[in-house]
Amino acid sequence: MSVAVERALPTTIHHRELVMGTVVTFDVYRAAGISPSAFLPHLARAVDALHRADKVFSTWKAESPVSQLRRGEITLGEAPGEVLEVLTLCRRARDLSGGWFDPWAIPGGVDPTGYVKGWAAQRALEDLVDAQLDGAMVNAAGDIASFGGVSGVQAFHVGIVDPDQPTVLACAVELRGAIATSGAYERGEHLVNPRHGEVDTSVASASVTGPDLGLADALATALAVGGDEVLTLLKDVEGYEGFTIGHDGAWKWTNGFPFVHAPASN
Amino acid sequence: MRRTPIVLAGTVVGLAGVLGFHTSPAKLNLGTINSTPTTVGSTTTSPTTTSAPPPSSTTSAPAPTSTTNATTSANANPTTTTQRPSTTTTVRPSTTTTTPPTTTVPSTARTATGPLVNYYFGQLSVSVSATGKKITKVTIATLSDGGNYRSQSIDQQSIPMLEQQALQAQSAQIQGVSGASYTSAGFAQSLQGALTQLGI
Repeated sequence: MSVAVERALPTTIHHRELVMGTVVTFDVYRAAGISPSAFLPHLARAVDALHRADKVFSTWKAESPVSQLRRGEITLGEAPGEVLEVLTLCRRARDLSGGWFDPWAIPGGVDPTGYVKGWAAQRALEDLVDAQLDGAMVNAAGDIASFGGVSGVQAFHVGIVDPDQPTVLACAVELRGAIATSGAYERGEHLVNPRHGEVDTSVASASVTGPDLGLADALATALAVGGDEVLTLLKDVEGYEGFTIGHDGAWKWTNGFPFVHAPASN
Repeated sequence: MRRTPIVLAGTVVGLAGVLGFHTSPAKLNLGTINSTPTTVGSTTTSPTTTSAPPPSSTTSAPAPTSTTNATTSANANPTTTTQRPSTTTTVRPSTTTTTPPTTTVPSTARTATGPLVNYYFGQLSVSVSATGKKITKVTIATLSDGGNYRSQSIDQQSIPMLEQQALQAQSAQIQGVSGASYTSAGFAQSLQGALTQLGI
């Protein structure tokens, strides 16, 4: 008697992609099972979006359009259309952050790097929206764009690293959209204070949640540098919430920050 | 004011008070900032169910008392590095994927060791023992940190904790981590490899 071996479809697929100077992780979920042959074309498009962003925006690649733009070799009009798109979004982020996020203050010419990683991850996520998943996360080295959740009804839970001990979680958030965390413990070198041009952070860790990872990432950078001032500004940015851990360990957050377990008081 | 990190109440006796870093072995997806080139473009699938159990209750734990590595936790120079890999180019995702393993796993005790992976300060590999689908032991099979001071202090604190918490994480609720987490990312990567071998 032969017994048919039933091969179950995977309910999760994880993919790592080395791009933009870091590792971007795709984590997708579907309780009913994911057909790899149906899903992988979506993944391929998402991955392509990341590589294209890297090719256009990398300041590490001398031949990239943004590098050429910074050297004055081409005009904005000659650059690919997404450069203008991102710079427009950067200007909005600069305004919303009270100038604490400022790609124009970076030595060597305008540098949208601080916006691009999140923007690209968000675009990659959009390639997965119609892949019939319960939920998906695109995790660009700790800055996460997402939709849905593990089963479609339960939101993803994401831990925020304790800046004093990077292997310990300070807290967990219920993710609805994106979260970005900036801090001196991470890659502090990109946190340039636009007011005096030096690397500087007001807080040890700054997280921002909201619908779009590009803006969340920019606001988290601003929050890390500007601290309380930016946290106050965030109250007026609809859909976005902020949380900081100070160098003294103190927690501060906007009222709507989506903690899984709310702290006792602010 | 220093608030305490959260801890998921564990079922593992003796873990009360251990600060919470939680991964779920069946759905590890930590924000990996390091990856060995061999994993570039890799896709893994998990046939295990991801419907999560009800959230664990939380309990508070004493605030971290050790601050000795807080001041060294930034900007240490790694002795091994995979930073700035963007200048090397890229491998597209394979158009083939691993065939999902069947959902049946042997009920016997067995052990598998995950791949040797780079983490921020060195290399490590993780070994997992399991009976059926239940993880019985998680250990570091290989660890080299190049003698980096910070790495040693982190390793001494975090590796035992990660080993314990990988056990505890069978009921964990975290699907991702925001913020860099170098050691845990390497740990998670190798652990995932071992779990895949075991069909967990």
